[in-house]
Amino acid sequence: MFEIPHDAAAGTPLDRERAGASLRVVSVQGDDAIARRLVDLGFRPNTEVRVERLAPLGDPIQFRLHGYRLALRRSEARRVLVTAR
Amino acid sequence: MSVSRRLATVALVGRQNAGKTSLLMHLTGSTQHPVNFPGSSVERSEAVAKLADGHLRIVDLPGITSLEALSPDEEVALAWLHGGTSGAGAKEAGDGPDAICAVVDAGKLGVELDLVVQLARLGKPIVVALTKVDVARVTIDVPALAHELGVTVVPVNALSGEGAKALLERLVAVVATPEGSRSALEDASQRSVPVDLDLLVRSVTTRSDGDRPSLTDRIDAVLLHRVFGLPILALLVFGIFQALFVGAEPLMGLIEDGQGALGSWIAGLVPEGALQSFLVDGLVNGVGSVLVFLPQIILLMLFVALLEASGYMARAAFLLDRVLSKVGLSGRSFVPMVSSFACAVPAVLATRMIDNERERLATIAVLPLMSCSARLPVYVILIGAFFPTSQAGLVLFSLYALGIVVAAIVAWILRRTRLRGSHAVLMMELPVYQRPSVRVVKNQVWAASREFLVTAGTVIMATAILIWVLSYYPRPAAIHEAHNALRAPISAAIEKLGPDAPERAALEARAGELDTRERAAYLEQSFLAEAGKAIQPVFAPAGFDWRTTVGVLAAFPARELVIPTLGILYSVGDVDPGEFDIASLDAAEAHREEGLAGRLRAAKKDDGSPAWTSLSALSVMVFFALCSQCMATLGAIKRETRSWRWPLFVFSYMTGLAWVMAVLVYQIGSALGLGGAS
Repeated sequence: MFEIPHDAAAGTPLDRERAGASLRVVSVQGDDAIARRLVDLGFRPNTEVRVERLAPLGDPIQFRLHGYRLALRRSEARRVLVTAR
Repeated sequence: MSVSRRLATVALVGRQNAGKTSLLMHLTGSTQHPVNFPGSSVERSEAVAKLADGHLRIVDLPGITSLEALSPDEEVALAWLHGGTSGAGAKEAGDGPDAICAVVDAGKLGVELDLVVQLARLGKPIVVALTKVDVARVTIDVPALAHELGVTVVPVNALSGEGAKALLERLVAVVATPEGSRSALEDASQRSVPVDLDLLVRSVTTRSDGDRPSLTDRIDAVLLHRVFGLPILALLVFGIFQALFVGAEPLMGLIEDGQGALGSWIAGLVPEGALQSFLVDGLVNGVGSVLVFLPQIILLMLFVALLEASGYMARAAFLLDRVLSKVGLSGRSFVPMVSSFACAVPAVLATRMIDNERERLATIAVLPLMSCSARLPVYVILIGAFFPTSQAGLVLFSLYALGIVVAAIVAWILRRTRLRGSHAVLMMELPVYQRPSVRVVKNQVWAASREFLVTAGTVIMATAILIWVLSYYPRPAAIHEAHNALRAPISAAIEKLGPDAPERAALEARAGELDTRERAAYLEQSFLAEAGKAIQPVFAPAGFDWRTTVGVLAAFPARELVIPTLGILYSVGDVDPGEFDIASLDAAEAHREEGLAGRLRAAKKDDGSPAWTSLSALSVMVFFALCSQCMATLGAIKRETRSWRWPLFVFSYMTGLAWVMAVLVYQIGSALGLGGAS
């Protein structure tokens, strides 16, 4: 058994999505404090996430989930795998 | 268990931006004060609510996202929340809260309830305070939510205080009968049945206005615009900066006038001598040099509090995060950095909003490198004296740029060495815009001002008195006698003249000049000057003459002190440092300063060569741009980092760096044949 990164079932990293994309969380990668904090911030499986906008310099990215606005850097957003809604 | 008269305690727990601070104020009135957690120096704020039948202590914990601590500070707060049975709070076991008030933002129940579920596992009675119900874009069925959670839910308006009374009554009730307040959540979590939050949230909320963009969305479309976002931020910062100078100027003038008036009043009451000099030059000037920072601190903290409370601060961090991430900082460092151009003292206080401790320390360590308003008078005088007007702007700009570049390098190094690790992470909510609460803003400004006066104030005072002692003593009697001998014939001549005689003014001026010379002679013989001459070899490679070295020494408590000190040493009388603020850039003021500037240009070293050249002026300015010459800032750093280590480090690296750069400028410049007398 092996995992193919970024296939449709595993989802794509959240930092690759365009502004305006409506997505659904598949999983959060890793088991460190950052990963747990991402889950605490609301990135649970099946959560709806929208990419609101990129900062003028391209990073960080503003998301919308659970009705609130959250800014993440690409380096952290990468941990969240999503699929199109 | 002793039946002590310990107050029943409720912990306010919630995420950042949930509205805890204003809620605490509405629950208790504005008499909250910072208190340390037992056995540590981590701060929490607490206040006592007065009730009809007793008191209730309410403790506001720092905002937390989950019960897993990411920083040592969070650890201490969480240990206390657990009832002081583990971690740093163990020293005073049993000092935990009797009940928990979970502060929950109604607009994002989906995330917030996660924390409530975790809190339920602590096994303490819980009351949920539902905030921001009016701005939430959903309608919440409060009774249904309370039923699902099995705890009391009280909607409150953190801005107006509506609902605070009902909340207080519920808190009193659960503290009185904890057994009756066990939550269904607690039972569920203890049976380790996962609570399906998404389902729960869906069952108690209805969307009230669909997908229509909210006010916050519309404001963000402009303020976070891809093209206009950054220019708007720049404009805002420039406006604040300008307001700081313009707004603080008259108040600083008032304080200086008051200081002068008080000084003269005391001088009139107390006979001339050591006591008078101590009161006027030591004490009154010491207090004055503390108070004079207050207008800037109040104004800056006011702007910072307004930006924070309105929700824009997070946007500024969002816009600039990319730039600051390059040197290991994040967008949150931006506001303190900019504030530091006005004054590093409030800027150090403003770093509290940086939640990553290492990033916060790195920010604090480089803040004093920004050229603050107290460096400006030094720049203005020296540039005016030694550089043609056509180069003035460029030199001034370069000095500001030098501070920024060095700060970036130092931050970069720190984040790769001593403050390595826990790379700055930006996981930041962009809160809904709201009208700032007057009480919260007032409270923040007052707290910052009071802390400055108490902590930084004592440090500055002590140093000012020390410098006074060193510059006043030993005061050899021979100097006084010699000057008296010179004064006697002039006084006699003045007395012979009629009150309207034309020669009178010239003679009185001569007498005044003698007084100044006497003061200069005393200063030359003082311990301070002895010290200056003793360490002169250290500063000689930077092109300083011994008088400049004394000025540099005298300026360590507060850098603006260099001007009156040089003024005395180069014998042009007492120069008031307050005169040289940004307003003095205009021609009329510049003309007035020709006294000191002219003397500096004319001054000779012992070997007859000019004491000052444009090159040595540049070297002195580079030294002032980089050197840590502000006891107030070091006091604030001590206060904020809770140790002497950081202020000592900041002082050492800045002073060392300033010396190295000044020597480099002077030696390289000399080798290139620059800096002849201009």
